Amino acid sequence: MKTSEETETLEAVETAKFLSGGQALMESFLQEGVDLIFGYPGGAIMPIYDALYDYTDRINHVLVRHEQGAGHAAEGFARVSGKVGVCMATSGPGATNLVTPIADAIIDCTPLVAITGQVFSGLLGTDAFQETDVIGVTMPICKWNYQVVDPDEIPEVMAKAFFIARSGKPGPVLIDITKDAQVKAMTKPFSYKKIDKLLSYSPRVTPKPEQLEKAAELINKAKRPYILFGHGILISQAMEEFREFVEKTDIPCASTLLGISGISVDHPNYMGWLGMHGMYAPNVMTDRCDVVIAIGMRFDDRVTGDAAKFVKQAKIVHIEIDPAEINKIKHADAPVVGDAKEALKMLMPLVKQGDFTAWKNEFRKLEAPEKELVSDRDLQGEGQIKMAEVVKMVSEKTKGQACIVVDVGQHQMVTARYYDFRKPHSYIASGGLGTMGFAIPAALGAKFGAPDREVVAFIGDGCFQMTIQELGTIAQSGLPVKLVILNNNFLGMVRQWQDLFFEKRYSFVELHNPDFITIAKGFGLEADKVTSRENLSEALDQMLASDKGYVLEVVVEKEENVFPMVPAGTSVSEIRLK
Amino acid sequence: MTQYTICVYGENAVGLLNKITIIFTRRRINIDSLTVSETVRKGVSRFTIVIKHDKREEVEKLVRQIRKVVEVMAVFGYLNHDIVYNEIALFKIPTPVNSKPIDIDTINKVYKAWVVYWELDYVVIEKTGTEEEIFEFFRYLKPYGITEFVRSGRVAVGKTPQGLVEYLPEEMEWEYAI
Repeated sequence: MKTSEETETLEAVETAKFLSGGQALMESFLQEGVDLIFGYPGGAIMPIYDALYDYTDRINHVLVRHEQGAGHAAEGFARVSGKVGVCMATSGPGATNLVTPIADAIIDCTPLVAITGQVFSGLLGTDAFQETDVIGVTMPICKWNYQVVDPDEIPEVMAKAFFIARSGKPGPVLIDITKDAQVKAMTKPFSYKKIDKLLSYSPRVTPKPEQLEKAAELINKAKRPYILFGHGILISQAMEEFREFVEKTDIPCASTLLGISGISVDHPNYMGWLGMHGMYAPNVMTDRCDVVIAIGMRFDDRVTGDAAKFVKQAKIVHIEIDPAEINKIKHADAPVVGDAKEALKMLMPLVKQGDFTAWKNEFRKLEAPEKELVSDRDLQGEGQIKMAEVVKMVSEKTKGQACIVVDVGQHQMVTARYYDFRKPHSYIASGGLGTMGFAIPAALGAKFGAPDREVVAFIGDGCFQMTIQELGTIAQSGLPVKLVILNNNFLGMVRQWQDLFFEKRYSFVELHNPDFITIAKGFGLEADKVTSRENLSEALDQMLASDKGYVLEVVVEKEENVFPMVPAGTSVSEIRLK
Repeated sequence: MTQYTICVYGENAVGLLNKITIIFTRRRINIDSLTVSETVRKGVSRFTIVIKHDKREEVEKLVRQIRKVVEVMAVFGYLNHDIVYNEIALFKIPTPVNSKPIDIDTINKVYKAWVVYWELDYVVIEKTGTEEEIFEFFRYLKPYGITEFVRSGRVAVGKTPQGLVEYLPEEMEWEYAI
């Protein structure tokens, strides 16, 4: 006979064995090594948050101020750490607030798992309180999405979610879990199996040897080869292999905006970055090379300008993990489908040792006009403070070692130009989607992803006000995230376009800004404002020395234009220096 | 404009049809017809989608984008001469008293169509064939007064194992097996 006490223990074991959906989700997180979640609770996700309450010793949850902040913070974390970023939100408005970061993550290939609560399965489709068809809404912007209505599905679905998010071309996955599936107990013991392929999805990592041979043949025959590398180098952690490849072949290389920091700025073969506001030589030389080796980049229109005219004289080797990118914009003469790291490793023995000193010098020769017309002017140190000076100074003070997060607009381009990136994963920007408001939450995420690194964000005054509420999240986290507002009291990039292409008809670009310092202090952050050049250096020193979250507002020249510039839709050869 | 038939094999999952069709919507490609059915393999659906397009390379890109959907296992794009294809149509023809009698013999022998159902005052005729054959039959029946006409989407099987798209190698190697 069992005593009543024994029966009770037995039942307790049984209950513990059959986890609730919420608990199963937490156990799945632990299995995937997730120890950080950015999120915001609400009605339809409360059972998950209740489960989380018992896991706070193993999973750190950062309470943001708006779900968009959770998404961007998870992105910042993922971009710096290479791990999958995780964010959570409730149904309806919580879920729709995640739409922007999800769209941002798909276009910038950021691994993200978003968990959203959903109304009870019995209420689906009834216009229940806070019901939004988030699966339908996010379908075109998710790498994968799935609605869970049965807790038994959770382990398998989460294993799929994490695999899909991080593998191949990484991207966002959204898992929508109905409230009953969070509450109900599983009908079987929790068991978790990580996966590394699916029947319908198993991206090729190792390229085919014949593709590599063809690529090597083109590379070896080239007289004026030119490497354009992108985010793929950083995503696949191929920095070492890439540097070795560049050094063996001696081919000059330039990066896309998101490829920045894939190789040190000091490397003799690094020519800068190209694109609409990229550097002069890397842009112009696309017209002179005979073979382009494109690695982990996708010929975005901000890189190519008029794609039909872009590198039209050259043969193209395209190393890319996503087969759909091959021939999408530019025809690839030698496509190599696979992971950049694997491809470069396998390509190494096939390529010849090279010496392209003369060819590299042609790039260097083109640096003179840019220096004279753009850089010297930006850095001359007269009149109002220029954005470039601030960035350059931070670059020098941090010796190019900091992790730089930027928002979107002029300051984004200026930062890319004037910060000397010497460490990988150091330029965290919303490249593809151009999401204003990215930087504050992404900087916090980046700090979580790289706690030992100095994280400095450059943010325009317009962008700053799009996610300004996340200052509260930074304050609550207690982390020393440094935010520099480059304040020109304008939506600078739009104003620049109106100046150059709309006859200076400044249509709704001037901002009457609040007192950022009072706001920052109100949130509990340290804050300082610089209006004159003589105080800039000291103010930056003070900011960098602080062990708290810090906002430094620098008032910069109001109507400054960013050059070089390739006007949208034109050929790269029409690049303007002034 | 050239007609293309795109055959998509995917997991029989909720929402997959949506995930496929939004790829067409985003590129502003109109779907002429679409049929879905389970294949010989349980759990695997086959979508047969007919579109018209004037740029073959755009169709190739479309096919590769469809392949990116996680639940999609394989996609083939075909030109008409690459496939054996058919549609089915049903015609409802009124047969009131004193109306012109329908000529069953011609319908059967010339048009290879069959009466599949009749009531006192109407018949339902089934015709299988290509789009052109069905419209030819439509023109023949029109004088009798068609009260209802419905045409299925195209069903098609490839004549060759490959489609028009030069698949990137890994897709060529993909083996269809569960």
